[in-house]
Amino acid sequence: MGLIGSYNLRSMIVRKGTAAMTAGGIAMVVAVFVMTLAIAQGFRATLVASGSPQNSIILRKGATAETVSGLLRSDVPLIETLPQVARGADNRPLASPELVVAIALPRQTDNQNANVPVRGVGPKAFQIRDAMTFVEGRQFAPGTREINVGRLAVGRFKGLGLGSDVKFGNATWTIVGIFTADDAAFESELWGDVDLMMPAFQRIGYQSMTVKLADASMFDSFKAAIESDPRLYLKPSREQDYYAEQSQAMTTVIRVFGTFVTLILSIGAVFGAMNTMYAAVAYRTREIGMLRALGFSRFRIVTAFLAESVALALVGGVLGCILALPVHGLSTGTTNFTSFSEVAFKFRITPALLAGGMLFSAVMGAVGGLLPAIRAARIPVARALREI
Amino acid sequence: MALIELRDVTKTYKRDAIEIPVLDRVSIDVPEGEYLGLMGPSGSGKSTLLNLLAGIDRPTRGSIRVGDTETSSLSERALAGWRARNVGFIFQLYNLIPVLTAFENVELPLLLTNLSKTQRRDHVMTALGIVALSDREKHYPRQLSGGQEQRVAIARAIVTDPRLLLADEPTGDLDAKSAGEVLTLLQRLNKEYKKTIVMVTHDPHAAERATRVLHLEKGTLVEQTPAAVGG
Amino acid sequence: MKFIGLVLKGARRSKRRTLLTVMSVAIAVFLFASLRAVLDGFNAATEASSSTRIVTLRSTSLFFSMPTSHAEGIKSTPGVQDLTWANWFGGVYKDPQYFFAQFAIEPDSYLRMYPEIELTPEDRKAFLDDRTGCIVGDGLAKRYGFKVGDKITLQVGIPIYGTRDFDFNVRGLYKSGGAAVDNQSMFFHWKYADERSIQPGQVGWFVAQISNPDQATQVATAIDEKFANSPNETKTDTEKQFQATFVSMFGNLNLLLGSIALAVVITTLFVAGNTMAMSVRERTTEIAVMRTLGFPSSTIFLLVAGEGLMMAIVGGIIGVSLARLIVTPDLMQAGAFIPVFGVNNANAVMALLLSAGIGIFAGLIPATMASRLKIVDALRRVA
Repeated sequence: MGLIGSYNLRSMIVRKGTAAMTAGGIAMVVAVFVMTLAIAQGFRATLVASGSPQNSIILRKGATAETVSGLLRSDVPLIETLPQVARGADNRPLASPELVVAIALPRQTDNQNANVPVRGVGPKAFQIRDAMTFVEGRQFAPGTREINVGRLAVGRFKGLGLGSDVKFGNATWTIVGIFTADDAAFESELWGDVDLMMPAFQRIGYQSMTVKLADASMFDSFKAAIESDPRLYLKPSREQDYYAEQSQAMTTVIRVFGTFVTLILSIGAVFGAMNTMYAAVAYRTREIGMLRALGFSRFRIVTAFLAESVALALVGGVLGCILALPVHGLSTGTTNFTSFSEVAFKFRITPALLAGGMLFSAVMGAVGGLLPAIRAARIPVARALREI
Repeated sequence: MALIELRDVTKTYKRDAIEIPVLDRVSIDVPEGEYLGLMGPSGSGKSTLLNLLAGIDRPTRGSIRVGDTETSSLSERALAGWRARNVGFIFQLYNLIPVLTAFENVELPLLLTNLSKTQRRDHVMTALGIVALSDREKHYPRQLSGGQEQRVAIARAIVTDPRLLLADEPTGDLDAKSAGEVLTLLQRLNKEYKKTIVMVTHDPHAAERATRVLHLEKGTLVEQTPAAVGG
Repeated sequence: MKFIGLVLKGARRSKRRTLLTVMSVAIAVFLFASLRAVLDGFNAATEASSSTRIVTLRSTSLFFSMPTSHAEGIKSTPGVQDLTWANWFGGVYKDPQYFFAQFAIEPDSYLRMYPEIELTPEDRKAFLDDRTGCIVGDGLAKRYGFKVGDKITLQVGIPIYGTRDFDFNVRGLYKSGGAAVDNQSMFFHWKYADERSIQPGQVGWFVAQISNPDQATQVATAIDEKFANSPNETKTDTEKQFQATFVSMFGNLNLLLGSIALAVVITTLFVAGNTMAMSVRERTTEIAVMRTLGFPSSTIFLLVAGEGLMMAIVGGIIGVSLARLIVTPDLMQAGAFIPVFGVNNANAVMALLLSAGIGIFAGLIPATMASRLKIVDALRRVA
């Protein structure tokens, strides 16, 4: 294999123009593959990052998202006092009854109105989500019309800078702090005091409640306690499960779409690789005859040409990955159709995704190289040697 | 006035930094109607000389005149047009286009003229008639023998009725019988159709048919003798 | 032209290679036309929006409602001719994955103002007469097998409608008479939903018919001014703007689909350009021979470029035909939100032009290669 490997490699270098174009075609396919899946990956990561294993979110039974859920004021003390709920330094329960509504704000990019989630939270909300940190300003003071804004929302929508006033719910709210949350969906939201938001939006109840459990393993008993209470028509979920489920539909759509496009596109690239390899075989008919005469087996010839094709495709794969890399971390947004509000997220290229892209390129090379390699192996020795 | 006039034609090739002389101050006159044989060992510059005459290569120094045209000073484009009208070229390996039939191969140079389809057909059939291959018009090159292929190539060279035919080892790849046929054909074109022919060859039998033979060696003419007549 | 024969012969030289090239162009054009069809589908709804209908929402966002009493205020605004309203119901059919849009509408006026909802007079009457009746788009009906006379049960999705399931009688299937209304929705009586609401008398949005489209902005402003500083401020926009907002909810589709289309085109350029370069390299001697025969380099250029153009256009025709056959509204019901239409003529022409462009660009380098060939070198290579 050693000799024949370097033989193929050298002949690839000889045909560098053709080889470059074939690799280029494969590179484009891999780039599209990686980029579209990076969207799905990023969207999912954003929502999954929103959940913590130690937290539980409680919604009305049957509700699929916070926006279509409801929770009575009277439900709150019943849950807060459960023994599984963790308590803060002040010995008050780490629970936050919340309200999520969407307000219309114009995007920076196209000036179209988007539905931006506004979350009314309890005073403990920032302690429950431990990933939250302020990059500018401070936490809003409870009982005031101060709000905090996620960093991704600041970049995506107009008029959300520190110190700006935002009008909604017949009131004016002042932004006093900007926070990050490990790229979680919260970074696309506006947060304020739930007790002021409720009247502003003419709501009479909360929509959900998020609690921190004293220990992640207590979820089952916590769930049992709520479900056995006849006064509560509620269903607790692990926060992580809830957000993973939220991302399901959208990621599936993106994955299906991305796979569909890349598969069709890859057929074109495979044709290109096939063309190149057929030409390589035709061009080297005599050499192949010579190798066979020297005693190289058919199998050796097939593997050598397959290896050449795969190597060529892998060069394309590396190029494609490099081409796709710059989108990593770019932020974009789409509507989360389960909550009907806009989520900003970043393209996310993971090592696994790159490995997938490389594997994909290798498969394209193998498929494109197979038929030409078989043809190479079938060349009759005597005729090949005669040919010019 | 001679049809072809070469004056001090020098041709050098650059390989890396070294200049390799191929032709060195060659002057030849070819009168109209002559059948000139060019002989010499390989590397003597005879094919280069032929290429210069055909206008597919340019001299480094010196001038070439064919008829009224100073070919060494024509532009690429003008040269192409001049070739189409004035020169027929016959290659050692025939160089027919494999995907075209004998008819279409012969028709190829006529596509550059303004002739109508019927006129083109007349010309092609006349040319194929001269080379005695009228019945092979629909054959593809791979369906013809070497001698037939070369005769189709000759038909292609004469179909535009050029004054000058240039042949580069026309029999180099043929068996003796086919070679004889091709040489007879060239001789007929010279005598009957008054074509001026310059033929490069290293086959003495081929050279015998020429009216004059020149010998080239290392880029210069070594002697200029009338060809021995007869076999 | 007399050279066409030569071009055709050239393409037939290596049938396999020509076939592979043609097919890769066909695939690219197919993808391009399909992506355009999706984008067109989105934009069509915006483009087809009526310029005489304006939509009034709560200024906060689509998710807030306003009292029916706003109807009087809007109707009395100068320029407004007719008025209707609707609510988003958000019910769940069997399972959340079987999603489709349901609208609670004020039936008489809604059907009057939306002639795009095409119903037979009998179905229309049957629907208007049945308080729990509904009409569904023919596309939606096909998807779930709804027939006239069926009963559809929806679970409540939005808490204000209580906890009890809603039953509806299918009274008619409508056809979409314009892109402003898709055929994937369900409409039913606003009253039926309202009477079970915890907060009755609430309207999601009003649609007003105006007499003069040029006055749309003035009328919209006049409406919003009426409710300014009330607890239920409004935001009125043309239907077009309303649709555009909706389309933009998906994110930057133009950019995403545009970049994919670009990648498709570049990939194909690589593949097609490569093939043609290969075929030129193979024909080096022939080209030299033709040059010797007196073919000017410009003719050689055109012959090679013409071969590429021809292959690309054949590929383009195959691709467009495939897209027309496959990408139809029936097949592409990926999601109820995505209004996909077929590949229209403009789109088909654009895709064909694209294939021609690919052919020209892919042929450029090989054709230049061929025309710049040094005859003597090329001849020597074989001899």
